[in-house]
This record gives sequence, structure tokens and C-alpha cells, in this order.
Amino acid sequence: MASLPKRIIKETERLISDPVPGITAEPHEDNLRYFNVTVEGPAGSPYENGIFQLELYLPDDYPMEAPKVRFLTKIYHPNIDRLGRICLDVLKTNWSPALQIRTVLLSVQALLASPNPNDPLANDVAEEWIQNEAGAKATAREWTQKYAKKVEN
Amino acid sequence: MASDEEYSEAESDDSLYNYESRNTSVDLICPKNPNLTSDDSEFDIDEVDSSDYDEEDDIDNSLLATPVSPSTKKALSEGSVPNLKYECLTTKEIYEKMLKRINHLQPVFSIPPDDVLVLMQHYDWNEERLLEAWTEKMDELLQQIGLKSAEVNGSSDVRGIKHRNDFMCIICCEEKNTDTFSLECGHEYCLDCYRHYIQDKLHEGNIITCMDCSLVLKNVDIDQIMGHASSTKLMNSSIKSFVQKHHRNYKWCPYADCKHIIHLKDTSSLAEYGRLHYSPFVKCSEGHRFCFSCGFEIHAPADCNITSAWVKKAKKESENLNWVLSHTKECPKCSVSIEKNGGCNHMVCSNCKYQFCWICEGDWAPHGKSFYECTIYKNDDTKSKGAQEDPGKQLKKYTFYYRLFNEHEVSAKLDWKLGQTVGHKVKALQDRMGVSWIEGLFLIESIKTLNEGRTALKWSFAVAFYSDASHNLTKIFLDNQMLLAKAVEDLSELLQIKEPETIMKRKPEFYNKSGYVENRRTALMECGRDLLCKGICKPHDG
Repeated sequence: MASLPKRIIKETERLISDPVPGITAEPHEDNLRYFNVTVEGPAGSPYENGIFQLELYLPDDYPMEAPKVRFLTKIYHPNIDRLGRICLDVLKTNWSPALQIRTVLLSVQALLASPNPNDPLANDVAEEWIQNEAGAKATAREWTQKYAKKVEN
Repeated sequence: MASDEEYSEAESDDSLYNYESRNTSVDLICPKNPNLTSDDSEFDIDEVDSSDYDEEDDIDNSLLATPVSPSTKKALSEGSVPNLKYECLTTKEIYEKMLKRINHLQPVFSIPPDDVLVLMQHYDWNEERLLEAWTEKMDELLQQIGLKSAEVNGSSDVRGIKHRNDFMCIICCEEKNTDTFSLECGHEYCLDCYRHYIQDKLHEGNIITCMDCSLVLKNVDIDQIMGHASSTKLMNSSIKSFVQKHHRNYKWCPYADCKHIIHLKDTSSLAEYGRLHYSPFVKCSEGHRFCFSCGFEIHAPADCNITSAWVKKAKKESENLNWVLSHTKECPKCSVSIEKNGGCNHMVCSNCKYQFCWICEGDWAPHGKSFYECTIYKNDDTKSKGAQEDPGKQLKKYTFYYRLFNEHEVSAKLDWKLGQTVGHKVKALQDRMGVSWIEGLFLIESIKTLNEGRTALKWSFAVAFYSDASHNLTKIFLDNQMLLAKAVEDLSELLQIKEPETIMKRKPEFYNKSGYVENRRTALMECGRDLLCKGICKPHDG
């Protein structure tokens, strides 16, 4: 692999020295473009108290191309499908090179706080979310308990 | 990329001006024959109109004006089919038309034409929607689209390229002495990053903004950053997406590598065409002819429904079978393998000199003069009329017609190859017989007629397959088909002649046979349309 661009080095350093609250991102030792990410469920959302594992990959063209982000932890959310793929504008058409890993992860966290069932990726979840919001949120809470429970050390 | 070059050529102002006198609006009247005539007279170059260019014309010719009301009176007196009014354009020409519109509209906006261009791009080149939005909320629109900064902190001298020492670009995080660019917003990045950023977006055709806010990079900015006429590429992409979005009025020529677009001004005539089982055949400036509705080649006498049913059915057939059917045959006498290398179906075995017909593999002698039997599907069991319900028989019928269809397709391809050599033949006529180029053109015309005849013949088998075989009209159709087949074979044979002397000696025959093919083709197509109109021929899954 070509040497790591300065931009990625700087971003990585800053993620470690000045981490975003509720979010961790650590690069793999053997591939510095690949990050293990955890995002805490935002308070007040059905995902509260959950810790979600994600993977983040910086493509060769980064920052001209958006990073690729995917949930590894199972999650019940109208904009996240069963494979963990995320429907988020800044990961697609609204990506700009001025955005960063940290801003993207913050957007992901914000998506957990405010799901958008009108622009769904997981259609069944979105339908439930629109028709029976309370029920859908209960399911989301249940899944959070089941799959994203904080492991106390 | 070729399209880039095309574009940059057209940058100068006078090419824009020239365009007006190059109005290639085509006005076709098809009273009887849906297959548009192939001579060039259909291109009426409207010199008077364009020199007397005034505002009214501008609106009429505008791409964005509502469809031109069809000159129905004229069409009705010529026959029942409305005029197919279309023009052939390139993306460059569409863009030039847009620019012309923009220059025309500019006084309404009282902002620079470059800004109007961005607005038009934002509104998918839809002038009406833009004007509507503009009158409603001018300032809001400028901000929303990013032509005006919301937080006006920078004066206009911030905008542009600057040279900086020890500049730290926050995109690449490199610290270096470099040229930078920024818009009024003051978001400043090194040129390398900007170039990379723009390069990736040129093919999308969307408006390109500052990397950190919604301020728009105009074409001048793009060209300044990229250092050459890159904005033309962006405009090209934008026009392409415009064409894609307006696919009811705009169609790309389906021929490989052809960059022309057919613009049908009034799609209402299409419904009428469909109702009468005519197909809206169009021709691009390259001379490629296709059906505007289905994008297929000229498929008369079949209509679009028959064509798509037939094509779908053909796709189910195995590729191998097709190849075997179309490429090899054994000589009926000596069984030597024969590959067909010319368009004519009159075969002479190189081994035993046996003359036979490629299609029916029978002796050629009976084909020569009187009756051309090869296109008749012989119903083995004439007593049982319930052939339609018998799948086995259907398949047999299909295989029979498909084979014929395929034969003619292959022949057509070989004829096309023959057409490639016809230039040499004309050259030979010039060199050896002292014939002028114009005089030699009859050869090229004959090839064209042959191609058209063959294509019509080919598609007539699809019509024949889907027609009710017991009906009298179908029989008449089949008779017509045979006559055309015979005419086409005769002409094809004539075109195999290589010696210039013989060609000149038999010149009247070329004329006669071409004319005959043309007549037979017209007759067959009328007859086929009759079948379609009367519902004797309709697509089914047989």
C-alpha cells in the first residue's frame, strides 16, 4: 500500500488525542485505513445504554470519496438494514472532502437519535415505525438490550 | 474523450452564431409509407427563417417551449398519419440552444449569464419552472442555490486563485507553498485538492459547490481551477442527464458510437402512429434509422408490439442453434460444408458446382424465373385448422419462420459488407470506364434499396408468424412476401457482379430491379399494416 496520506494520519491522531464523547475509533494495526468503531446509543433514544460496533473504511480516494461505514451490531432502525448498511446523506451524495471521520460518526450518532422512517432503507422497520411508533421503539429497545448491551469490565 | 473535443471546438462565439443557419429541423410527411424516405430532400434547411430570426421564432424553436401544435390540417389532407416533426441534435447543439435561451432571458434576471446558467442547471434546464420560482422568491433562490453567500463575510477579492507560502490545506493536511482557490466564503484549499474534487464531479453533471458550503463554482471558476475548458465537460454531462430525464421527447440514436439525439417536438402524434400501426421511424444526421418508440431498427411491416414479442421469443433460443442455423450448411449433393460469404441466396457449391437455394436447399433452377417457393410455410396438415392450439406445430412454425428471419438477418449483414466494397466498385467504374462519381451513385443507391428490402423482408417473417394463417389477407401477405423475396434476391445477385464493364452494361437492370424492390417493399408494408389494423396479426405466446 502506498504511504498513508497526511490527512488520514492527522485525523487518526486527533481521534485518539481528542476523542468525541460517546464515540471511539481505532485503526487496525495491519491496515491503517480500516477502523474499529463504537458508538454509544444517544440518551433519550431507544438505543440508550447500548454500545454499537461499526466498521469504517477509508477508500483510496479518501477524502474525495466518502468513508464506508457499516454497523456490525444488529440494530432495529428504519435507516439501517439487516446487513448494517446505513442510509445517510453525508455518506453518499452530500459527502464533502471538508467532512471528517469524526463528523461522519457524529452524523451516525445523530441518526440514532432521530430516525427518518420517510426515507427508509429497511422497509419493514420503517413501516412499523410509521404505523406503530411506540411498538417500534419498544422493539428497538429490546434489540439494544439483546445485542448492544454494555459489557462491564 | 471525443465529446470533449467536440465541445471545446464549439467554444467560440461564432460557432454559436453559425448554428442558427444550420437549422436541421426535419418535417416529415408520411402519407402512406411509414418507412421514411431515405433521400436527403427531407432535410429542408430553412435559410429564410433563420436569417430573419426574431423573437417569435426563438420561442417556437426553443427546446423548452411547449410542444409545437401539429399542423393537423395538412397532415389530414395528406393521409391519416400526422407529421412526425423532429430534429437531430448533439449535446453540443442542445447546450448551444440553451445558451441562446439564456442570453435571451438574461434581461429578465438582471444577473450575469453565467449565474443564469447555474439556475437553469439547477432547474434541469426547465425554463418555466425556473421563471416561476424566480418571480416568487428571487433572493431566497439565489441563496438556496448558492449563488449568493448567506453570511457575507468576504468581499469579492477573496474569490480566485492566490499564491500562498506555507499554506496548510485542511483537505490534504499538507503544508506547502502552493496556489490556492476560494470563493467569497473564504474556504480556501490548495489547487491540487480542488482539481481532484472537481475532476470527480465533472461527469455527474450536477452543480459543483465549495467543499465546505453551498456556494456555487461557476463555469469560469472551474475553468480557472482546472486550467482548461473543463466546464464544457460538466455542461455535457448536465445535458446528457437532461436528455435522459426527458426520454419521451429525446432519444439517443441507438447505433454504436453515434452521439446524436433525436428530439421529437410533439409526442402526441406517437399515439396516433401506434393506433394506425405505423411506427415512428426517424433518421439521425449520420443516416442511422431507427424506431423512435422502441429504439429498434426499422422493423416494418412489423409494429413495435410484434417486434418486441418476436425479439423476446428469439432470445429464448439457444445461441448455438442460431449459429448453426445461420452459418453452416452442407451442400445437398456432395455434403461439403458451406459457409455463406455473400448476401445472395443463390449458392453454387465450389466442390460439385451444384446450384441450390440457401434457404430451402432445393435446386436453384425453379427459383430462377417463375415461382419463389421458399417463403411459404407449408402447413403439413391442412385438414386440422386447430394448428394454433398445438404447441408442437407452433414450435415448428416458429422454427420455420425464425430460420427465415435469421437467414435474412445474416444476408443483410453480408449485404452490408458488400456495401462497404461498393465504394471501390464505383472507384473502379471511374478509373476504368471514365464514369463520373455522380453517375456511379446508382450502385450505392441499389445497395441502400437492397438493405431496406431485406430488412422489411426479415421483419415480415415476424408478422407472418403472428398472423392467423387461415385468413385470406395472410395469404395475400405471404404472396407479397414471396414477390419481395424474389425481387431482393435478384437485386442481390446483380450486386455481386465485380467487373466494371458488366456493371455498366447492365446499368438499366440495376435501376429496374431497385425500383421493383422498392415497389414490392411498399406493397408488403401496406399489406402488413392491414393485418395489424384488422387484428389478424397480434402478438401471442405461441
